[in-house]
Amino acid sequence: MDRRQFVRLLTAGGSVAIGHRAWGRTPGFSADGAFPYFGEGVVASRELVRYPQKTDLILLTDRPPQLETPLRYFQSDLTPNDAFFVRWHLSGIPTNVDLHTFRLEVNGLVQKPLSLSLSDLKTRFKPVSVVALAQCAGNSRSLFEPRVPGGQWGNGAMGNARWTGVRLKDVLDEAGVKAGAVQVGLRGLDVPPMPATPVFQKSLEIDHARDGEVMIAYEMNDSPLPMLNGFPIRLVVPGWFSTYWVKSLSSLTVLDQPLKTFWMDKAYRIPDNPDANEDPQHLAAATVSISLMPVHSIFVSPEPGEQLRAGESFTLKGVANDGGSGVRRVELSTDGGQTWSDATLGTDLGKYSWRTWQAEWTPPAKGSYRLMVRATAGDGQTQRSSQWNRSGYQRDVIEDMDVVVA
Amino acid sequence: MRWRESCTCAVVAVSMLSLAGHGQQSGQPKTKQEASAPVQSIVLPQYAPNVPAGPHVDTYRKDCLICHSARYVAMQPRFSQTVWEKEVKKMVDAYGAQIPDAEQKEIVEYLVAVRGPLESK
Repeated sequence: MDRRQFVRLLTAGGSVAIGHRAWGRTPGFSADGAFPYFGEGVVASRELVRYPQKTDLILLTDRPPQLETPLRYFQSDLTPNDAFFVRWHLSGIPTNVDLHTFRLEVNGLVQKPLSLSLSDLKTRFKPVSVVALAQCAGNSRSLFEPRVPGGQWGNGAMGNARWTGVRLKDVLDEAGVKAGAVQVGLRGLDVPPMPATPVFQKSLEIDHARDGEVMIAYEMNDSPLPMLNGFPIRLVVPGWFSTYWVKSLSSLTVLDQPLKTFWMDKAYRIPDNPDANEDPQHLAAATVSISLMPVHSIFVSPEPGEQLRAGESFTLKGVANDGGSGVRRVELSTDGGQTWSDATLGTDLGKYSWRTWQAEWTPPAKGSYRLMVRATAGDGQTQRSSQWNRSGYQRDVIEDMDVVVA
Repeated sequence: MRWRESCTCAVVAVSMLSLAGHGQQSGQPKTKQEASAPVQSIVLPQYAPNVPAGPHVDTYRKDCLICHSARYVAMQPRFSQTVWEKEVKKMVDAYGAQIPDAEQKEIVEYLVAVRGPLESK
C-alpha cells in the first residue's frame, strides 16, 4: 500500500473527493490535511480541544497552547473571539489578571514614566478602532516542501478582528519621548520556563511606534480579549505579522539603541529579499526581521475532503489580504492556471482587513480539477508560484487545490 | 539605555488553581461585558503527554518536557539527523536548556528514532 492509498484509508472510508495539492503530495499529511501521518502507527491527530473562553480549536501543542482555527470560521468577515487562533511561545503564560493591580509600564527614554491601569487607558486617551488581520509568521508552515521544523500550522493561524483601544503614539506622547530614541521595546506578562530562556520581547522602530496606527487594544470585536489572546491589552500592528502584536502587554521601554534579543536577532527572520525565498541547498546569507504581510489568498470552501458534484453549482469561497494597500482583485482558475476569472470581492472593511471573496462554479463533468487562487493588492503586488525558506515564514504562494468531482 | 527587566506587574500569575475571579464576581451586578470583572482567571486543561516509545525516552522526558509539551515533537514530520541535531542545539544555545553533551546525543537518537527519515531504519 502506498502513501496515497493509506491516506485514503485514513479519511472517511475512501470517499475523499478533494485533496489539497500541497498536503496531498507532502509526506506526512493526509489528503485532507487533518491527520499528519508519521509511519509505524504513530499518528499525531489534529484533534479538536476546548480551552477556556474558546470554542473547539485544532490542538498543535498544549504547553504552551498553540491552537489553530478551523477553516469554516473564515467564511465570515470577522473571526469570532472564541474561534481566534492562539499562539504563545513560553510555557509561563498568564492565566490570572487582576485589573486592580495590572499596570502598563511606560519607561526608558521618556520625560515622565507612566504606570497605566486599564481604566487609565480607557479614560485618559481617545479610543480608536481598526479592522485588522492578525496572522502568525508561520501560518501555513506545514505546506512548505521540503518540510521545515516548527509549529506545523495549516492555513488557520490567522484571524480578522475589529480592534478597539488607544494609539500607541498617544501613550508615548503622554510619557514624552526624549531625543535619541530609536525603538520601543515591548513585553507582556508571559514568563520563560527556565532562567536562561530568553524573555519574549519584541521591538518597533520609534517612527513606526508613533505612526498613529499602532494600537494598544483592549477590545476585540467589541468584547474584551480572551485571556489566551492577550487579556487585558495587546499591541496591534496593522499590516504586520502578529509576532509583534505582543499579548498581555505589560511594558513599553523607549530605547536609545536597537533591542538585542533572541526574538529579534535570531528568531522571526526571513531571507533578505522581497519574496522571503531561498534555496534549501544555498541558504540566503543575509536575513532581516519579518515585517509587513505580503499579498496572500486562500481557499476556505470547499474544504479539503469536501464532496463536489458534476453539474451542480458550488460557491467557491476564500479570503485575501495584504499588508496595508488593500486587496484589489482576486482571480480563480479551475483548470490548473490556464485560464483565470475574477472572483466577487466581499465587504471592504479597510485596508488592513482581509477581504472575503466568492465565485460560483459548476463543475461540467466528473473528473479531476486543479483550483487555483491568486490575489492582487492595491499597490499592484501579486503572488508567486513557488517559495521556500528554512523557517517556513511568510507563505504566500498561489494556492492550489486538487478537486475530484463525482 | 538598556532594556529594563521591570516585571512590575503584580499578576504574572501562574496560579492554575485560582478561581478567585469567580468568587469575587458573585454578589456583584453582572456587567454587560464579562471582562469588566476586575479579576480574570482561567484554568488550563491538561492533556496526556504524547510520547512515542524509543531509545532514551527517559532522557527526552527529563530534559525536554520540563519546558514544553511533547506535542512539539509529536506534530513534526520526519527530519534528518542533521536537522534534529540543529534543533537540540537550538534548545541549548538559544533557549537555555541545561543539557549535558552526552544527553543531547541521546535525545537526538530518540528524535531520529521516532521522527527520523524512514530510509535510515
